[in-house]
Amino acid sequence: MHPFAYFEPKTLDETIALLSQHGRAADLMAGGTDLLVEIKEHIRRPAAVINLKTIPGLAELACDAATGLRIGALVTVRTIETSPAVQRLYPALAGAAREIGSIQIRNRATVVGNVCRASPSADTLPPLIAFGAHVEMVGPAGTRSLPLEAFFTGPGKTALGADEVVTAIVLPPPAAQAGSDYIKHGRRRAMELATVGVAVSLRRDGDVCRDLRIVLGAVAPTPIRARAAEALLEGVAPDEATVAAAGRAARDEARPISNVRASADYRRAMVAVLTRRAVAAAWERTGREIQP
Amino acid sequence: MTSVIGKSVKRTDTLGKVTGGAVYAGDVVLPGMLHGKTKRATVAHARIESIDVGKALALPGVKAILTHADVPRVLHYGSPHPRSASVTQDQYILDTKVRYYGEGVAAVAATSEEIAELACELIEVAYEPLPAVLTVEDALKPGAPSIHDVGPGGNLVLDPFVITRGDPEKGFAEADLIVEGEYGMGRPTPAYMEPNVCVCQWDPLGKLTIWTSTQSPFMVRGTLAEVLGLPLNKVRVLVDHMGGGFGAKQDLFQHEFLCALLAQRTRRPVRMEFTRKETFLGGRTRHPGTVWIRQGFRRDGTITAREARVVFNSGAYGSHGPGVTAVGTAALTSLYRCENVRLEGRCVYTNTPIAGAFRGYGVVQTYYALDILMDEAAETLGMDPAALKLLNAVREGDIAPSNHPITGHGLEDCIRRGIEETGWAARGSRPPAKQTGRLRRGWGMGCEMHGSSAYPGIKEQGNAVVRMNEDGSVTLMTGTTGLGTGAHTALAQITAEELGVKFEDVAVVHGDTDVVPWDIGAFASHTTFMAGRACQMAAAQVKAKVLARAADRLEVSAADLDIRDSVITVKGVPGMSMTVRDAIAAEKGIPAPQLLGEGSYHPTKSYSFAAHFVEVEVDTETGQVSVLQVVPVHEIGKIIHPIAAAGQIEGGIQQGIGHTLSEDFVVDQRDGRPLNASFVDYKMPLAMDMPPIRTIILETAPSDGGPFGAKGVGEDPIIAIGPAIANAIYDAIGVRFRHYPITPEQILAALADKDEAQAA
Repeated sequence: MHPFAYFEPKTLDETIALLSQHGRAADLMAGGTDLLVEIKEHIRRPAAVINLKTIPGLAELACDAATGLRIGALVTVRTIETSPAVQRLYPALAGAAREIGSIQIRNRATVVGNVCRASPSADTLPPLIAFGAHVEMVGPAGTRSLPLEAFFTGPGKTALGADEVVTAIVLPPPAAQAGSDYIKHGRRRAMELATVGVAVSLRRDGDVCRDLRIVLGAVAPTPIRARAAEALLEGVAPDEATVAAAGRAARDEARPISNVRASADYRRAMVAVLTRRAVAAAWERTGREIQP
Repeated sequence: MTSVIGKSVKRTDTLGKVTGGAVYAGDVVLPGMLHGKTKRATVAHARIESIDVGKALALPGVKAILTHADVPRVLHYGSPHPRSASVTQDQYILDTKVRYYGEGVAAVAATSEEIAELACELIEVAYEPLPAVLTVEDALKPGAPSIHDVGPGGNLVLDPFVITRGDPEKGFAEADLIVEGEYGMGRPTPAYMEPNVCVCQWDPLGKLTIWTSTQSPFMVRGTLAEVLGLPLNKVRVLVDHMGGGFGAKQDLFQHEFLCALLAQRTRRPVRMEFTRKETFLGGRTRHPGTVWIRQGFRRDGTITAREARVVFNSGAYGSHGPGVTAVGTAALTSLYRCENVRLEGRCVYTNTPIAGAFRGYGVVQTYYALDILMDEAAETLGMDPAALKLLNAVREGDIAPSNHPITGHGLEDCIRRGIEETGWAARGSRPPAKQTGRLRRGWGMGCEMHGSSAYPGIKEQGNAVVRMNEDGSVTLMTGTTGLGTGAHTALAQITAEELGVKFEDVAVVHGDTDVVPWDIGAFASHTTFMAGRACQMAAAQVKAKVLARAADRLEVSAADLDIRDSVITVKGVPGMSMTVRDAIAAEKGIPAPQLLGEGSYHPTKSYSFAAHFVEVEVDTETGQVSVLQVVPVHEIGKIIHPIAAAGQIEGGIQQGIGHTLSEDFVVDQRDGRPLNASFVDYKMPLAMDMPPIRTIILETAPSDGGPFGAKGVGEDPIIAIGPAIANAIYDAIGVRFRHYPITPEQILAALADKDEAQAA
């Protein structure tokens, strides 16, 4: 492990000052589950590590049907996974949280850390985008908010300024008759990175599907919306043929790479299958079956 | 009726392990200890032009750096038993040439691991690149670059290993059906929990002590002594507990030599520990390869002839290539009886990671091929595969791969029991691969046999010293290593049983080559079998001495005495008894003579058998395979410790599922760089991936040689599971795979091809 300066700021102002001083040479640490491994394996060599865990007030989770969900920067993945309110109101997010690493990892890792790491295969990103999440940031110029969808600029890259800190992720309240799902495809059932991840959120308006968001993970440099697939289902009473067509549309929108985990062709094929399955599961959560 | 054998007594190592008190090599901390690191090559094949250590040496905290110019240039064996035919003598501690990506080219000792790592980065190596030979095909091409100057040449690790029995031409001429196929194997790694680690210290008189995670401490002692030019009593090897080895830790690794030399150079203790990545780069893998087999059958299913060509990829060094090639190839003489065989095994150097010994030792590969081919033949013959395998199962009197006659009907018993347990006959009536749903299920079975001990390939010997203390408690001294299998518990059970004392009265001393009797190492499914028999022999000697003393005191014949639970009783005289403690107590103030027994056992050959029955489910949309249940039936002669035996079987199945469905250490075919040298992308099945396993252990063919009839069980369970899964996948989807690992992607592609063929 390379040597680095280590800081435990007590306030956000202090943190911003440290960031202003060190710039991109500093890394923020919450759970450290990615960062410390990367430092140990020489993938990342920060000159400074700033631990956020000493800042009060960042570990708050608020979740209810009227105001939505607010995930503070230090809220752990395990907290999200096991929160009855999140499980009820944002099942795709609770499900995605359960897919990350092991329980030991999830007890340390934070959702905001998962977001800021900006791995294309990160499990919480597709459901957060599907739920219309916003990122709240604070920097020398004050606070700002950005739709999460616009936050990711490339693998490991985000719109976060060098002197900014993400303080929370905020999700709007779920609509009436909402349904959502996240399906991860991996080489085994736990302790795995997604080969493909698909999140779907929608609401049922009578017999038809509205406000559909389909988000694909691990098949592009950032999580992406499958907008053509969404359009096929918007305002439609979903039947098997339409849902399958949406799966194929999503497949055509994916831009995966080939690597030791899977080939691009296989990833594309899985986007079609998983999109179909996730749409069906989300729809079923609204109390209806997909028509044959 | 035994009192300790066959009982799942509390293991001798449990308390130490759960409390953290058990000492592993990596736990050793010595005053003034330095930390060593290996500088590893980033090219697959090159000559080293120069190494500049100037910047690294200037780094504060760096105490010594070794390159090829600083270490003894002794051509040595990479593996532990240098005087057997199993291994090759083709390694230097550090060479002027690099033969695989990740090979050590220099080593640093520094005051911290971080500084040592940093220093490694500062060492500048100039390479003159040589063309890398990354496949067996390329290595065997005429004019291919030569990886070694030793050996028979042409990149062969050894001359082709050939076995002929009977008259294969005649056998094939008599066949009504000839089936042939070529099967390919990936590169699984053992992925033991404890990365390689050692600590070296020299005393002022020039004696080396090394704590190291090895399966073969006496072989480490022998090879280190030879290379460093020391007598054996100047090298002391300590290994108290290990976090697994699976065969790979039979080899001596570069860092073990380098650690000793760095400690010598700095006159301080030095510790070297692999990162997980280094266990991939500098570790040992199973041999990848291809196995081509052709078999002749009569219409009734009887095998008339078998021909096979086995080609193993040894990677950059020979390691166990000769042994693995010989054992894997010779295994094809048997399992399914056949009088006419012609087999040829080759092992080929390439500029890829080193393949070495790994649980199943060549047999995993060859029986994978043989057992799938048997299923293919069964289909053509219109027979149930289990019935075909039962018909041809090796049995009493047949000549085993070791050229010894087989004892008993173990394999037939396993197959029959599995058929019964799984309701196989009912499942067999269903036509295979006629399912149409998204999820399709299938059953498959595979068989195996495996020798207990490496004899006669290696002339082995098991040793034990048993001493009874003045209070009747017993100390067993064994040179065997505790890989985590529970072997020391089994040895204590055997000693207690033979001697007639309680299990709790036997303490096991192990792990110090200065103290314990010589041992070849823990491998080849032989520790309980071979060292166990030596324990039994040594215990019997102590028992005879105790009874002789008791006979004097009780004034009866020793032949009429027996010991049970440390109480000596007289046959036919109820009520007349004496405790062992009283029997050996001082008489008129004069202590009993030392009660010492020593056993040395040269093994006969015994084989254990198994048949694995597996149900799988294939998701035809994703290609993912779930193993739903496994029914492994093993015949091991005599169960010493039921839970430990079942644990071996379950662990073998877990590794076997990984081999067959996901585990493959992949090398970039452009430059030889490993692509998944970490657990991020090398995936083994975990608890959540494991199916229910209903283990059945039979004791129907006990060994004359093993203690109480026991045979080995260490390697057996990893062998039959693979072909059982491949055969089950065929049963589910009607697609035949002739390789491992079988990936979801390949299953999808094969299903698409099949649909296309059916549509055409």
